[in-house]
Amino acid sequence: MSIVAEVPEGVETERIGYAWAINHALAEEMRRDPRVWMMGQDIGKMGGVFGVTRGLFEEFGAARVRDTTINETFIVGGAAGAAMTGTIPVVELQFADFGLVAGDEIFHKLAKWRYMHGGKLGLPAVVRLPTGVVGGAGAEHSQSLEAMGMHVPGLKVVLPATPADAKGLLKTAIRDPNPVLFFEHKGMYRVKGEVPTSEDYLVPFGEAAVRRRGDAATLVATGLMVPRALEAAEKLAAEGTELEVIDPRTLVPLDMETIVASVERTGRALVVHEAVRTAGAGAEIAARIQEAAFFALDAPVWRLGALDTPIPQDPDLEQLVIPSTAQIESAARELLAL
Amino acid sequence: MSTKTAQEAEGAATDEDVLALDLYREVSRIRALELLLNRYVKEHGFGGFWHPGLGQEAVQAGAVMALRREDYLFYAHRGLGYALVKGMAPEVLLGDLLGRVGGSVGGKGGGTVHFVDPELGVLGQGGTLGSNFVLGAGAATSIQILGEDRVVAVFFGDGAAARGTFHEAALQAAVWKLPIVWVCENNGWHLSAPFSAQSPTEDIADRAAAYGVPGVVVDGQDALAVRAATLDAVERARGGDGPSLVEAKTLRIRGHYEGDPQKYRDDIADGLEVPRDPLRILRERVPAAEADALDAAAAEEAEAALEKALAMPKGGPEVVTAGVWS
Repeated sequence: MSIVAEVPEGVETERIGYAWAINHALAEEMRRDPRVWMMGQDIGKMGGVFGVTRGLFEEFGAARVRDTTINETFIVGGAAGAAMTGTIPVVELQFADFGLVAGDEIFHKLAKWRYMHGGKLGLPAVVRLPTGVVGGAGAEHSQSLEAMGMHVPGLKVVLPATPADAKGLLKTAIRDPNPVLFFEHKGMYRVKGEVPTSEDYLVPFGEAAVRRRGDAATLVATGLMVPRALEAAEKLAAEGTELEVIDPRTLVPLDMETIVASVERTGRALVVHEAVRTAGAGAEIAARIQEAAFFALDAPVWRLGALDTPIPQDPDLEQLVIPSTAQIESAARELLAL
Repeated sequence: MSTKTAQEAEGAATDEDVLALDLYREVSRIRALELLLNRYVKEHGFGGFWHPGLGQEAVQAGAVMALRREDYLFYAHRGLGYALVKGMAPEVLLGDLLGRVGGSVGGKGGGTVHFVDPELGVLGQGGTLGSNFVLGAGAATSIQILGEDRVVAVFFGDGAAARGTFHEAALQAAVWKLPIVWVCENNGWHLSAPFSAQSPTEDIADRAAAYGVPGVVVDGQDALAVRAATLDAVERARGGDGPSLVEAKTLRIRGHYEGDPQKYRDDIADGLEVPRDPLRILRERVPAAEADALDAAAAEEAEAALEKALAMPKGGPEVVTAGVWS
């Protein structure tokens, strides 16, 4: 039982941050394909409010790295219009929450226009959505809204939890012919990790990563909850209890096969996410686990998520809303005791 | 037939007589289909809501005739004239309205217009009115990035003009000098609300000034005037000078949808009479015999198209799940 190496042996890597891994994916894809371009607020000379797009304006120029004004309906709707007409837009919203301002454009135009028009329109667009708590950003800048993407057919939903995945999943997203909501965790931008340097490093959609092998229970975690679930698993491992930690990486498509196979071995499952617990992605995952592996379960499938409350503005208080490592550890212990 | 005509028309811009005849043909074709649909809905109904464009044919024909085949079109929900004049076959359009697999959306249609033909630049219509503004600006950004010679036409009504998406798209389009022509069909009605009750100014074209772009008002019943005003805007866009707004004043003759009792309205009788009928206005410019022949051909085309559309099968369960993903 051990932590699974994220990058296969023999692959050349560099140790960089999550934000820089996204930056590299953008730069590599824009070099590879002249149809790829970007727009968003302050992504040009400033390099984005979180610095993710630094240097891209200088390399690719104002025609392909476009600063917009405060106009989310255009940023996303414009991406949809551009995607139908021969280019591949990768747009940035400053905060995932602002996607709600462009709700019509995300949930109607991107998600439905191909379907409504008999499959004749292509919509290869990526919407980058800085998600989650970041320390004092407040109720309208800190949400985890990925379940909304799962609820409306036609959108792929991606949540990288490591720098390597941030690069590999974004490159796959840009090459995908479908619209992709790319929920990058803004609280993880500075997290460093080994990232393959290859320009062909792609992480496929619909393949969960088993972050840690174990036989006592299965923890399914996304985004910021992946490192917390791994820390919690470490605590239990010190006592000889090995938890399996699975990171789905993409919620649409969702790799239930890996999750179900794990639960069939462990007999117990805990789903953890930063989004509010009610009607979060965990509800869907838990439902599917019991549908597929009911007779293998030794206990109910549990969910751990944020409290059903908005995120408070205060940086200390916001941590009280989302699951902590200690809470994951304690939930896992209780589940094991059932 | 019509696409060729549109291209020819551009080359023959100085020959007003030829142009008038071309426009007459298109307005007459749209009218014939409008009357046919009016009859069909009354006799048979169909799944969904038909939003008739009767009386607004000159705006649709005149503006689309100012476009080239490769130009992009985001049309509005009222009628089928836009797509017809851009070159789509009438039986395909009727197939869409009647939910037939031979329609352009392969059986996903039914009632409300969602025609599509990327080869002809026909890109669709937003169910959420006003959503075409941002889509059109995005398509125009593609054109600019790819260095293409195309223009985007975005149609909208006086109701949709109120959407915030217009402001977001217009501001960015003006700053980036995107190749867009906004064609407003001001038919005087936001569904049940008169335009005058919802606009502080008489003309939507005035709003263009806020973005530093041209905004002109044109008689929407005069196809030649609409075509000329739109062509100016198209040429400006193609030349790299950015977007413009053309507001065509027209009138909604029928209800919001066919069957709408229009109890909110006392300005018209519930008939098919078109005040300042664009066909009558164009007739003054074309020989009577030719106009008669075009009317007869248009009626024949419409009847034949309906027959072809009705012969197409309707979609089954396979249509329901097709096309979600690429």
